Amino acid sequence: MASSTSSPFAALKIVECGQGVSAAFGAKLLADLGAQVIKVEPPEGDLTRGRGPFPAGSEDPEKSGTFIYLNTNKRGVTIDLTQAAGQQLLSELLNRADVLIHNVPPAERSVWGLENSALQTRHPRLVIAAISVFGGSGRYASYKAYELTASNASGWAFLSPGASPYPDLPPLKCFGSQCDFQGGVHAALTVLAAYFHRLKSSDTGQVIEISEQEAVAAMLEMNLMHYTYAGRETSRLGSRALGPWFIADCADGQIFVLAVEEDQWQRLVDLMGNPEWAREELFKDRLSRAQNMDALKALMAEWLAGWKVQDLYRVAQEHRVPFAPINTMRSLYESEHLRQRNFFVDVHQPGVGKMRVPGMPSQYGKSFWAIRRPAPRLGEHNEEIFCAELGLSQQRFRELRNAGVI
Amino acid sequence: MAEGPLSGIRVLDFTWAWAGPFCTLQLAHLGAEVIRIETTARPACVTRLIPPFADDIPGPNRAGYFNQYNLGKKSILMNLARPEAVEIACEMVRHCDVVADNFAAGVMDKLGLGYDKLRRFKPDLIMISMSGYGQTGPFKGFIGYGPPASAAAGMFFTTGYRGMGPSEIGISYPDPNAGIFGAFAILAALTQRELTGEGQYIDQSQWEAALVLMPEALLHYEMTGREPERQGNRDWVMAPHECYPAAGEDRWVSIAVGSEAEWRALCKVMGSPGLADDPRFKTAQLRKQNEDALDEIVAAWTRQHDRWELTRMLQAAGVAAFPAMSNKDLAEDPHLLERGFLVEPEHPEVGKRKHAGIPWKMSGTPCSVRSAAPIRGADTEEVLKSLLGYSSDKIEQLRKAGILA
Repeated sequence: MASSTSSPFAALKIVECGQGVSAAFGAKLLADLGAQVIKVEPPEGDLTRGRGPFPAGSEDPEKSGTFIYLNTNKRGVTIDLTQAAGQQLLSELLNRADVLIHNVPPAERSVWGLENSALQTRHPRLVIAAISVFGGSGRYASYKAYELTASNASGWAFLSPGASPYPDLPPLKCFGSQCDFQGGVHAALTVLAAYFHRLKSSDTGQVIEISEQEAVAAMLEMNLMHYTYAGRETSRLGSRALGPWFIADCADGQIFVLAVEEDQWQRLVDLMGNPEWAREELFKDRLSRAQNMDALKALMAEWLAGWKVQDLYRVAQEHRVPFAPINTMRSLYESEHLRQRNFFVDVHQPGVGKMRVPGMPSQYGKSFWAIRRPAPRLGEHNEEIFCAELGLSQQRFRELRNAGVI
Repeated sequence: MAEGPLSGIRVLDFTWAWAGPFCTLQLAHLGAEVIRIETTARPACVTRLIPPFADDIPGPNRAGYFNQYNLGKKSILMNLARPEAVEIACEMVRHCDVVADNFAAGVMDKLGLGYDKLRRFKPDLIMISMSGYGQTGPFKGFIGYGPPASAAAGMFFTTGYRGMGPSEIGISYPDPNAGIFGAFAILAALTQRELTGEGQYIDQSQWEAALVLMPEALLHYEMTGREPERQGNRDWVMAPHECYPAAGEDRWVSIAVGSEAEWRALCKVMGSPGLADDPRFKTAQLRKQNEDALDEIVAAWTRQHDRWELTRMLQAAGVAAFPAMSNKDLAEDPHLLERGFLVEPEHPEVGKRKHAGIPWKMSGTPCSVRSAAPIRGADTEEVLKSLLGYSSDKIEQLRKAGILA
């Protein structure tokens, strides 16, 4: 990993504001490559400072794991953007920036001074990326939405968990902030595209609106086309199209059992010691195995229970059978493969100590990806940025602080 | 026609299945020219072979799965088992900025199309290989599919109804996620090339791209020493926070309350303003503590109403509510239609079909879906003529020799 000074992305100056996960994640992806990011928080702090996870027993806005992960490599300031003086400060930050990433919903933008047209008039070279759940236009643009809303509006929840035998249980949200993360990575992708274009040819800014509903609706495998090509509705209920395909118990945990191709099934049968039942008509092809999955599960149960998860995973994969463990967080941190690829990295967060966090999403041959600094404490860089860089006098700085602007 | 920000960038696309094509789809959306190399040496790309087919009539150009994730790309068909075909592909690399593949680790090298060879044809080439586990490490040869990748990433362990075991998550999420992170990595490399003049190779592991989306769970373990509990649709902080039953068969509406004002608004819309000050639910903390009782009360109310009626009432009062959308709901949604997200490009075999379009709008470099997915091999002649200056005769000879199809 190279040092920050040599990263070509250091030329890319980003201001991030809003609340929560999506904008913070988008800006993090660029900050980790070396872009200079200033995170603007409201004076009471970002929502993720209150969400944790926290080190045992200490609910502390400076110790929230989610906040720390999302904000490494950024400097942080606090500004109350609902006040005119706050909006003026933001404007001065934006005068020195290439990119603004925010996730303020369309209905609230006027309150924060973040309307596209006004920003573009004042900052014609700025690339503005605005993430929202329903996009910047259309009849739901002003709707209120959280992660749960996005996961239902995008069509994902209705399909999850899939092949469920429980019609009374609701559509199920995937763990975490997945729709917000997608909003973030789509913002980072399109911001780089706009920046690339600006470097190459245009030297003008533009507005990018990212819809989380659409970003996730574009990820639903072939489900949309089941309707538009063949008139079929799909849902979390029903059965699998191929088998074996199920979660099973091993001696010390659980494993995901899967064979997609016929040759994979044959090698799995070999691995099981060619039991007689495997030759029965019920299991003759992957569709039959899906239709008789309960019987198949019962017949395989004893064999599966005799294995340790990681051993079976390795042996199955050595036989070119695509099993995978139901990994726990512990087994992920202990993974030898991830260790050899240096996936987890250390963050030394003041007040918390050393934390191991997920690292590079992609391994670059010429990488500038690095953790260069921990996440900022609330308002940590106010003086550095407002006084030393924007040239605010100490007196004005105190006035703004006393007025609750910063 | 609109030109996206990557107009002028050319991508040679060896990807198949889903993760890879989803990556190059983003580049096509952004205006790059994406040329798919399909080979007669293997069966057609798997997404050409599985349902849904248009009107249930099978055929490699009729598959919705392929036609969705290859919108706006070109296709050339050759026999990559023949060294002459590999040579043509290498010649094409001279005129390309990016090469993408998602074979298992080592396959491109065996085909004679590895990075070290291809960069001889294009010194500042950017190449990305997307695989299940990456190009190095003890699992590098393991087979990755989307569903087991979700299991490996901890998504099954952390997702699930309360009191039940680990759960699947409905879609092969790590596949398109690897694709979107791959596209981001390519943009980073293109930007870097613009600034430094250098290309590079990118090793995209599907597993690692999924793990960067699991910080809340991973850090829960790292910071507390305990695994996170499965909590259905519930949230660590907010309540109510659930997908509630609505009137009708298998109809659901999600409701999430994140502030005191939203809580009061919900109670008012429910016609029970007194509920807001019920000692069990008076504060956010109490609502979280008494969530079982709270969910029962809310569900008893939602059951009596249509999901859209609930959505309109609650949104008018500033409460985050929305139906659980099915594929049919999405295809017919007036919001998605009026925003132009759903596109219907003309396809020579299946006609106009609705597809998911581009989830972003760029004011300065507008992006558009330029065409339907290609018929297998539709662009062989056009691409070889325009890119390599081949004559019709030469192409005919190569076809007769079984090098091109």
